[in-house]
Amino acid sequence: MTQTTRREVMALITGALAGATLGGDAFAQGTPKRGGILRISAPANPSSLDPATGGAGSDHAFLFTMYDTLTEWDFETLKPKPGLAESWSFSDPTTLVLNIRSGVTFHDGSPLDAEAVKFNLERNKSDPKSNIKADLAAMESAAVTGPLQVTLKLSTPDAALPGILSDRAGMMVSPAAVKASAAGNVARTPVGAGAYAFVSWADGEKIVIKRNEKYWKPNRPYPDGIEFSIIPELTTGSRSVTAGQNDLMYQLPPRQKAIVERASNIKIFNGPTLYVFQIFLNWAKPPFDNIKVRQAFNFAIDRETFVKAALAGLAEPAYMNLPKAHWAYDKSVAGLYPHDPDKAKKLLAEAGFKDGLPIELVGYPDQDSVQRQEILIEQFRKAGMNVRFLNAPIAEASAAFFGAEKRGSGILAAWTGRPDPSLTYSLMFTKDAYYNGGRGAVPPELEAAIKESRASEDIELRRKAFATVQRLVMENALVAPLAFQFELVAMNKKVQGYRPNLLGKPKYDDVWLES
Amino acid sequence: MARRSPARVIGGRLLQALPVILLATFMVFALLKLVPGDIAVTLAGDNATDARITEIRKIYGLDRPFLVQYGAWLANVVQGDLSQSLLTGEKVATSISRAFPNTLLIVAIALVLALVTGIPMGVIAAIKPDGWVDKTVSMIASLGVAIPGFWLAMILVAEISLKLNWLPATGAKSFSVSPIEAIRHALLPGIAIAAYGMAEVARQLRGSLLEVLSSQYVRTLHAKGLSMTRILWQHGLKNVSVNLFTIISILVNRMLAATVVIEAVFAIPGLGSLIVRGAIQRDFPIVQGVVFTMVIVVILVNLVADLLCAAVDPRIEQ
Repeated sequence: MTQTTRREVMALITGALAGATLGGDAFAQGTPKRGGILRISAPANPSSLDPATGGAGSDHAFLFTMYDTLTEWDFETLKPKPGLAESWSFSDPTTLVLNIRSGVTFHDGSPLDAEAVKFNLERNKSDPKSNIKADLAAMESAAVTGPLQVTLKLSTPDAALPGILSDRAGMMVSPAAVKASAAGNVARTPVGAGAYAFVSWADGEKIVIKRNEKYWKPNRPYPDGIEFSIIPELTTGSRSVTAGQNDLMYQLPPRQKAIVERASNIKIFNGPTLYVFQIFLNWAKPPFDNIKVRQAFNFAIDRETFVKAALAGLAEPAYMNLPKAHWAYDKSVAGLYPHDPDKAKKLLAEAGFKDGLPIELVGYPDQDSVQRQEILIEQFRKAGMNVRFLNAPIAEASAAFFGAEKRGSGILAAWTGRPDPSLTYSLMFTKDAYYNGGRGAVPPELEAAIKESRASEDIELRRKAFATVQRLVMENALVAPLAFQFELVAMNKKVQGYRPNLLGKPKYDDVWLES
Repeated sequence: MARRSPARVIGGRLLQALPVILLATFMVFALLKLVPGDIAVTLAGDNATDARITEIRKIYGLDRPFLVQYGAWLANVVQGDLSQSLLTGEKVATSISRAFPNTLLIVAIALVLALVTGIPMGVIAAIKPDGWVDKTVSMIASLGVAIPGFWLAMILVAEISLKLNWLPATGAKSFSVSPIEAIRHALLPGIAIAAYGMAEVARQLRGSLLEVLSSQYVRTLHAKGLSMTRILWQHGLKNVSVNLFTIISILVNRMLAATVVIEAVFAIPGLGSLIVRGAIQRDFPIVQGVVFTMVIVVILVNLVADLLCAAVDPRIEQ
């Protein structure tokens, strides 16, 4: 017998609101009940089930089920909110105090206390195999200042930390498990404190997890367990849902939506995410070393049409690196680049390319990418730019553009978004960042503004700082954002309580199964 | 000429296989290294800097010279260790032993289907060449060769799984746990691959049977008054069985290759999916392990076929 708690009522209300605002049918019908196995079609084998050593953005869909994070985010706006840390505060700009929730244990029964948090943060910061050292770059030391209190000393003010602790860096792994495993490798034997405990992982085939009976959130999770079938072929994945082998599939491609919707037992949820299609530019070499060319490039793009033609309308036109729903979105920046081919031509002429300009971009060869390219080529042509794509598989293309080779002047790719926007900006728009493909210099006021965005924890001050960052990035036209992809999740009607989130990496917090 | 003992023949053949295995794995390794794109970038994660990627190369030994890396892999293999996935750390031998039965089941089903349909078709076509039966068989065979397996697979899924709901559209089940469920899952992919095999068997069998049936000793047999059935079963088929074994060995090898595409369509975690994942992620121990396994399977299949041929037809010198 389950009782509906106040928390659940709140969750239902939030869910309903999300449904109304995000355009999905998010109403949880009936009373949530326990039981059942949720079967999910997942598009990628995880790179690792250890949050510290993994690398792929697609890992989170698994990690979030097994690891709880120090902070969590609001589904709609991504504002950080309490998680395993029930509160946090900056006692001064370089001191962050985390108060850990009491009574939480890992799946192996060991306590999640201040010692465990300190252990994790230090491991993430300094283990040679850790891929998230950069996330905690500002953390100088972590000290246990109470049984349930950890105090972080920072080398520079970093207001992005609470947001960062909602991602990999804040996922708590059982120290006992790390110490017990050979070379501290828990990639295949994850022990966290999340809603589900690990059972098995067969590479490229299946991941099985079961309910954590001692989970700290009351009455969660509802299903007895989750079985992820790893199906990289997305059309095959969606067929597995329509044919009934799986209950839910995330990352449904937009072109599949109409096909899946024909099945009467399937419903589809969608909502905007941070995942943005964009053209990264190399502003260290011609032609994009000229700001007028970069601006012309941005004026040439008809984003509304692009969304309709390339993404079946299931996206939000992107004029910067944050979508409308994000807490740090600045409306005034969105008006900088309306579609204006004449203006683009004029700017090109001023830059000395009166008779048109050939541009070579790098891209991917899959069907969807090529379709996006064709639409863009036509838009650029009308603005006097003769764009040609050099296509190669993802790994090759991105290594060629971002790595040492410096192939092409830009790459049509995507940015998956980060829990705190300061990461997005510092990873792309600082001098030595990997995703600054040309490693070209950045206007000093932009570097300063990115720093400024991490200086204060006051959300209004941060919002202002991000407004400056966004404006400077777009005024300098260091990137050509195209569209924020919607998260598309198909599920059969048994699945209740699913809510899309702005990060676009699925969480199944309130999901339950109708029998 | 004295005949060598079968044991020595097998031993000799296996010895000859060594350079083939070396060459195949070396070439695949070289190709993977030549193709641009780097697992270090994947391993380094989303936020990687150039320095971090260099560091990762060092940690995983990816900065060593090409030949040293291949040598290290080979040294492990000689000790019976196929090493492990660079990305996830799963033992390659574990991945392969889990994936192989799935692939094997599809190939087995496809082969059985190809033979039980292809042999009768070939035979009835050969009995009356250029009759309407023969023409129909030829047409079906041409279709079978021409239709791409993945296309047939999708049609089968759309009709039989999604519309009629008779067979599952995706996935695989373990044969040792539930044989019937396993076969149900493997049936559609099996059929998709079998179409080509059926056509090939029917065409080849018809051809070689025609040759046998038009030979002089068959005419003598007719003259002696033997019935067509007896000629066919006692003499004809025995004589073409050498060709049949050769066709089967070629078919098995082709079907193994075809699983790479078919497994993707049906989301079957077999060898084909494994090697595709390994290649896309540049996870070379996986690719090497699968190639190694496939080469051994192909060599074994050819060896068995040769031995069978020699057993049926002693004229074949081993």
